[in-house]
Amino acid sequence: MKIIAAFEKTKELSYTSHLDVQRTLQRAFRRANLPLAFSRGFNPHPKLSFATALATGYTSEGEWLEVELDKEITPEDFIEQVNAALPKGMRFVRAFVADDGFPTLSKMLVAARYLVTLYTDPPVSAQELLNAVRAIMDSEEVIVEKKTKSGIRPANIRPEIREAEAISASDRTAVVAVVGTLNAAGGLRAETFARALFERLSVNGRFTAHRTALCFEGSDKLPRLR
Amino acid sequence: MNDRTLDMLLSRVEKPARYIGSEWNMERKEVYDFRFALCFPDVYEIGMSHLGSRILYRVLNDMDGVYCERCYAPWTDMEQALRELNEPLFTLETKSPLKDFDVVGFSLLYEMCCTNVLTMLDLSGIPFRSADRDESCPLIVAGGPCTVNPEPIAEIMDAILIGDGEELEPELVACVRQAKRDGVSRRELLLRLSAIDGVYVPSLYRPVFENGRYVRMERLCEQAPEHPVRRVVRDLDHARYIGRQLVPHMQIVHDRVAVEVMRGCTRGCRFCQAGYIYRPVRERRKETLLDQTRDLVRCTGYDEVSLLSLSTGDYSELHELLPRIIDDMAEQKVSVSLPSLRIDSILKDDLEKMQTVRKGGLTFAPEAGTQRMRDVINKNVTEEDLLRAVTDAFTAGWCGVKLYFMIGLPTETDEDILGIAELARKVSNAFYRLPKDKRGSGFRVTVSVSTFVPKPWTAFQWCAQDRQEEIVRKQQLLKTALKGVRGAELHCHPSVLSVLEAVFSRGDRRLNGVLIDAYRRGCRFDSWAEHFKPDAWAEAFSENGLTMDEYAHRERAADEPLPWEIVDALVTPAYLLREWNKAQEARTTKDCRQGCNGCFGEHCEDYCRV
Repeated sequence: MKIIAAFEKTKELSYTSHLDVQRTLQRAFRRANLPLAFSRGFNPHPKLSFATALATGYTSEGEWLEVELDKEITPEDFIEQVNAALPKGMRFVRAFVADDGFPTLSKMLVAARYLVTLYTDPPVSAQELLNAVRAIMDSEEVIVEKKTKSGIRPANIRPEIREAEAISASDRTAVVAVVGTLNAAGGLRAETFARALFERLSVNGRFTAHRTALCFEGSDKLPRLR
Repeated sequence: MNDRTLDMLLSRVEKPARYIGSEWNMERKEVYDFRFALCFPDVYEIGMSHLGSRILYRVLNDMDGVYCERCYAPWTDMEQALRELNEPLFTLETKSPLKDFDVVGFSLLYEMCCTNVLTMLDLSGIPFRSADRDESCPLIVAGGPCTVNPEPIAEIMDAILIGDGEELEPELVACVRQAKRDGVSRRELLLRLSAIDGVYVPSLYRPVFENGRYVRMERLCEQAPEHPVRRVVRDLDHARYIGRQLVPHMQIVHDRVAVEVMRGCTRGCRFCQAGYIYRPVRERRKETLLDQTRDLVRCTGYDEVSLLSLSTGDYSELHELLPRIIDDMAEQKVSVSLPSLRIDSILKDDLEKMQTVRKGGLTFAPEAGTQRMRDVINKNVTEEDLLRAVTDAFTAGWCGVKLYFMIGLPTETDEDILGIAELARKVSNAFYRLPKDKRGSGFRVTVSVSTFVPKPWTAFQWCAQDRQEEIVRKQQLLKTALKGVRGAELHCHPSVLSVLEAVFSRGDRRLNGVLIDAYRRGCRFDSWAEHFKPDAWAEAFSENGLTMDEYAHRERAADEPLPWEIVDALVTPAYLLREWNKAQEARTTKDCRQGCNGCFGEHCEDYCRV
């Protein structure tokens, strides 16, 4: 049977990589006595796939995955049993059984919401933050150096920014909510958005990113953009 | 440490998962009155793979009111981040600085991680030398195989634990705890510790040097034992085991369930320190092992089990245990591996049963190229054993094999070096002799050659290590000889590091100063080629008026006092000397399962039950 579920990733566990998460989940399923179904063939793979990966260091409220199990289980039991076998910092929050023919998550994924927190030195005012966000949204082009496989090259990230809103600025901490395009082909990275903001604010600092939601199209059971 | 500081540190390093803790089965305690920091002077991936640390973590946390946390050597990027932010090194469980602990204990598995001990103390604001620390500092102790020669770290450690730790460490903790309650001085605490079997308190002894050489040890206090005796867990079957093994997030070196089937080895290879210092052989019953394996798999979720020991092929009930464990685990899709097999182990049928043995990774360790040389080192395997084993493997579909050798062994001649190439040629021929349709393609015989390092408490503890030029010449000779051997590939380990390893293996107390100087000159992670700084080491030696040559390349006379003999490692010097003499005549010694060779002397009745 196929279960579609979402988990949170918080605190220290945000520093585990996508590969680490895959390993941790596989072992948690075994501890929970929920056998993963394996693909047939020479080199069997567990049938576990993610809507998308979460960058190392980001926290999240809803990372979606689909998993095929060799055992029937209700979504409620799934959440309870797997959570009892997960280390602190990872926890399933939603789950449902996918009907036959349910499209894969990565095909339905369209966007992601983030809270981006900038730790700035010197501090920025609420007005300065508002202006910087507005400047980004009013530009036709937002050019950021982007790391690609062929090296660092400038890229226009403006088309990938759907919405952005200044939330707060106090005590050297500025928070912005942003919605970026995200699908199988790629999309906005919170990191490049944060760098664009730092540039507009003319300050330096570090940032943290928290993914509040993944947004999908094509199913009522998954969070949508609007 | 607050969350924000932790975030700042973690965002600066390449592999933050090394420092986060929160693994499955990590201990969380609210109520405790005694804190133990279990430290490993290498990176997380290596430290987490260490069986001994896994056992101690469990043993100590099972003590009421004791909270044992872990700390690993920070990689250079984390060291830099800690210095820049002026933050102390912290434990994984509660992110506390080491200074807040009652005891800080280091596991020393190899000589070349000693500079990392200093990094960890330095980043904790703890003075390097025991003499410079007062009551406000935690007690700094060390254990692990390296401590059979405790002298190179004797000025750094307050107490050194020799031998098996699972009974010793709780006794140490109980003693320190009582001393705290009694409010006694550091000096009184050290005296009390020295009364525990297996504990060496170096400050109670003073080595005497004459004409630049160690001559004897002076006891500074009547109460201190003349020779601290290595601790041995007599009944491994009832000894504590890992229990709830930690399950890391990131991949570690040995990322699987480890089941210790036995401790010790009876073979008596003369170069092998582990073979001598883990005697006598103690086995777990197969029923115990089956239970422990099931238990570990259930509480970890791992899908791979490794049956560990120095020579698992020698486990007396192996042929009863293996099929049962494999069947048991196959039900849960768990694979079983045996990491240390000897060429002469009769395991063909068992191996065939293990569908999970991956083709491609097949390793044998003949150690030397000629029968004479193998007799010298008492590696009692023959060319026929090897050729039969590889032919079996090739017929079963393997098309690659890795062979481990050492060069620089005592009495070695060029003939022995050429013998390595000859053996590789025979292995290659064994492959190509098979009919084309019965063998795979892309054949490789990898000849992996390391430089021999004489170790204390072995038959070769007296011998001189080959000089570097000689090692390089021999490596070149082998390289030339391997030309024309089909499929042969040569890997030589760099010899410079082996010299330093030889120095610290058989070092004396004067090396403490060298170590500290080398650390100050930037030496870290010396066993990692990219960090090894031979020039800084050379400067540290000359600064202290010492030469590496004296320690590494000098043969010791049979009657020369040896600094590590302050310890009683149970195996007697007289036995080792007999072995050394037999080695020079290329005479072998039988496996002691076939009859006692008298290695324990007067300790035999007390300790050895084989």
